[in-house]
Amino acid sequence: MPTESDTASHPIDFAALAAHRAYLERIAQLELRDRALAEDCVSDVLTHAYEKRASFEGRSSLKTWLTAILKNRIVDLLRKQWREQPIDEPGDQGDDALERLFDSTGHYVNRPHDAGDPADLAHQDDFLAAVQRCVDRLPKRIGQLFVMREVFGSDTAELCKDLQITASNVWVQLYRARMMLRTCLEQGGFGRARIG
Amino acid sequence: MVRLTCQQASRLLSQAEDETLPLGKRLRLRLHLAYCDACRTVSRQFESLRLAMRAWRERG
Repeated sequence: MPTESDTASHPIDFAALAAHRAYLERIAQLELRDRALAEDCVSDVLTHAYEKRASFEGRSSLKTWLTAILKNRIVDLLRKQWREQPIDEPGDQGDDALERLFDSTGHYVNRPHDAGDPADLAHQDDFLAAVQRCVDRLPKRIGQLFVMREVFGSDTAELCKDLQITASNVWVQLYRARMMLRTCLEQGGFGRARIG
Repeated sequence: MVRLTCQQASRLLSQAEDETLPLGKRLRLRLHLAYCDACRTVSRQFESLRLAMRAWRERG
């Protein structure tokens, strides 16, 4: 397993880079929703990183450096995908479903269910697996934006610049993502009465 | 000051995950959360999502 001590390893050999392949593919696949594309993308990232290995300064971990390269690669791919298909696919809005969560006075129709302490949940394998499943079920673009925000850590300004969308659009899409995800998780049993 | 509805509060809760809210909105949201159990739950759900995505990323 790669460790943080990678930081000190100079010069970098390809094996040290390739040790992160599975990790990079996992997040690329969540973002791109296409295994073959994710694998190709990560291969490109590793090749590129190897060619540029002299520019790795060891200020961050190798994993962080590779993740940054992957993020740039994915931004390019998403920009291209979104340009080629500028119209949201059906179901990309999900507004009706979100509206139905509230009554005419703006109250929740179904009382939100508390699944427990957020920090505790984030340590539970079944919760993480459920979150991943629910992210995969989001309308594609909304899911891609959410993963960009929460996995790659892009802030609003970066999302606007990278994906050429407005800040208000970013907030609306991320709002949809979170509301769909909390509903999906409640339907999956998180937040219902659970034993233990 | 007009009270927020839960629907409005839910939008602000999400926006607060991405930005520091302007003071006025922040105060209205805080006031709403003080008396609204449902929105406190939603706030925890959003926090759970954020922490879960970070934890998911760190595995592997």
